[in-house]
Amino acid sequence: MKTRLGLFHFLFLIFILPMLSGCWDQVSIDKRAYVVALGLDKGEDNKISITYLIANPEFSKQEGPSSEPAHEVITFPANDIISAKNTANAVIAKEITYNMLNVLIVSEDLAKDPEFIRYMYDVTKDREIKRNIPMIVTKEKVKTFLLKNKPKLETRIHKYFEFVLENSNKAGLTPNFKLHSYFSITESDAGLFLAPYATTEQIPGGKYTVGEDELLAGELKIEGEESNNSQFLGSAVFKEGKMIGTMNGEETRLTIVLNETLEMGEIYATYPDPFSPQYRFSARIMKREKNDVKINLNGYTPTIDVTVPLYMDILSIHSMETFDNGKIEQLKFHIEEEVQKKLSKLIKRTQEEFKGEAFGWSLIARKKFWTSHDFEKFDWMKTYPNMKVNVSVNVYIGTFGEQSKLPDLNQVRD
Amino acid sequence: MDNTKGKIGIREFLAIILITIGTKVTDNTPTSLFDKVGSAAWITVILMGLFSFIPIYLLTKLIIAYEDQNLIDIIFRLLGKYIGFFVIFLLWTTETYSIVINSATYADIIETMYFVKTPLFFTYIVLIGVAAYGAKKGLEFIGSAAWVSLIGLNIALFVVLILSILQGRFNYVYPILGNGIPEIMKESAMNASILGEFLYLGFIVTSLRSTNVYKKGIWIGFIYVTTVYMLALISYIMLFDYVSIVNLNYPFHETIRFIQLGFLTNVESLFLPFWLVASFLRFSFYLYISALLFGALFKIKQFNYLVPSIAILIVFLGLIPEAPVFTLINLRENFAYLTTPIFLFLPLILWITAKLKGELKK
Repeated sequence: MKTRLGLFHFLFLIFILPMLSGCWDQVSIDKRAYVVALGLDKGEDNKISITYLIANPEFSKQEGPSSEPAHEVITFPANDIISAKNTANAVIAKEITYNMLNVLIVSEDLAKDPEFIRYMYDVTKDREIKRNIPMIVTKEKVKTFLLKNKPKLETRIHKYFEFVLENSNKAGLTPNFKLHSYFSITESDAGLFLAPYATTEQIPGGKYTVGEDELLAGELKIEGEESNNSQFLGSAVFKEGKMIGTMNGEETRLTIVLNETLEMGEIYATYPDPFSPQYRFSARIMKREKNDVKINLNGYTPTIDVTVPLYMDILSIHSMETFDNGKIEQLKFHIEEEVQKKLSKLIKRTQEEFKGEAFGWSLIARKKFWTSHDFEKFDWMKTYPNMKVNVSVNVYIGTFGEQSKLPDLNQVRD
Repeated sequence: MDNTKGKIGIREFLAIILITIGTKVTDNTPTSLFDKVGSAAWITVILMGLFSFIPIYLLTKLIIAYEDQNLIDIIFRLLGKYIGFFVIFLLWTTETYSIVINSATYADIIETMYFVKTPLFFTYIVLIGVAAYGAKKGLEFIGSAAWVSLIGLNIALFVVLILSILQGRFNYVYPILGNGIPEIMKESAMNASILGEFLYLGFIVTSLRSTNVYKKGIWIGFIYVTTVYMLALISYIMLFDYVSIVNLNYPFHETIRFIQLGFLTNVESLFLPFWLVASFLRFSFYLYISALLFGALFKIKQFNYLVPSIAILIVFLGLIPEAPVFTLINLRENFAYLTTPIFLFLPLILWITAKLKGELKK
């Protein structure tokens, strides 16, 4: 009796075994084509032009590359990104999958189209696309961008986008909003969404600026032996799901400083030297405390008071000053004034030009409302341009580099 | 002879409660709450707990008063043969109907989120098949399986909750009252049956080692489930915001696709097996209860043998709805509204009858 029961169980287990294969959803990883970057361009009529950057998985092996190229770029017209998977199979031999999709790239032309948001919602329909991937806006067509973008030292293209975005974000030059934020910010209709702005088209000769970050992608002059020309600098501003403008590197940095929901790395920036104005000194800026945001919605004009605490290390001083307490105070006051002016200018721009804010203040303002109905009736987006925003900056000065004292130039030159 | 054979203790009982009722946070039950009350869904859960407190308390009183009898015996004894039959029949119908809706939802989750190409029929058969196997084996089997997997499931759940709270934004919880107090009160009263499964636990009292086990298990389970439910709703809100979350079909599965575990990005395949085990156990228990009630109705002693037939019935009923995502959520909402009065008033009626008959004085 017992052995027969055991036999039954054994047969049952054998019957169960084939199910482990995953049934119809069984996939072989070597039979799929992995789209690493998905590009969207404006197409004819209501169609869009889709660009796939398909990575060659052989390149992630340790043994070194074979003779095959590292990746392949194809562009074709399609109705949406989901049906495009099938269309692409007219050219690509393997089954297309978005499982390894690292980045979504949209051309500025399409992003500014009012119809753009319709195509974006396809992303929420496809289960292979994760919502924590970044979205990049390119100045030129994505097709051109992907073809021209040839990183010399990062042949493994899937790593390239990850690294370049991570580091430009750490430097504060691009925002690190993810795709998910595009939807949540658009749906809550209270703020602006920012996407990294990139291009491979360099303005001939570059653009001269006093500081180092008042630039937009393409304006920085880079020279080198056949160097890769793609630049990731500044951000594309989206309001209600549609691109309405751009912010340069400096404005993006200031936005990151103001927005608590964006992580801020260590930012290296330069400011005019208060002691000899022809020079600029450089500083490492960090945020160790949170911004203090006080929102008062009671009066006729709602007011927002923001205090930004910044921690700074002074790194290079071309005026060769050695600081004492008095001079540190003077420097502090100077920086506070300088940053405060820049922040006010940016806020004014968002109020007048964009008519919306990207600083996450609507999230803080929510606390002032009991129900979502009240909050929606207040209409943050509409009210914001008329608000009075006061910014103040508190600077705490830390170290002065490894060697804190500098020789007196007059004595050296004597 | 050892008279505890075939009976389950506090550990197994608690494990069954936590898994069968706790799994509800992972399907589309939260979606309808978010839809109606917005960011205040978690407050609804607290109120729901308060509303459910009275019926559960009365039920526990009754069960302690009638030792060695389960809820079926109590119902027959207090309400008589005919009304009792009707009440049990009603309970059996709602129970079976809830398995149909729930299992169809779970099959749909697997179908839309994980196994896209596999036919729904096949997924469904496997889901119910495994559950039926468990149910056929009996309560002891379900209890030990639940106990064995409890720790793993809880660790997995808490990892998800902690990660999503860490990666979420606390300000999303505001406006604190969501769509307003009237809406919160209304929804928490009408959806109280989300915790209604506590009623069904009364049917297995005679399989517990003692009524003390029942009393302890039910209260610990009740508090734990409500807390976890509340935490889960808060973590969903913190991750997705109240406007976007309404559009998500299955917040839990969207969460495990969204969160990152350090450098690991595709963690959903890590959590899927845990969720599957919990689902199998949940349906095993439901099927067992369904067979138990049916057996009690028609005086079938060996009700274990009813499980396969009920399972097949469920599969065929569950495959009927077209466009399951929308159909099932409507069916579930209406079902929750319909069963809430049963859950809230049945214990009260039973308790009053017992009081009038003077049987609570012992």
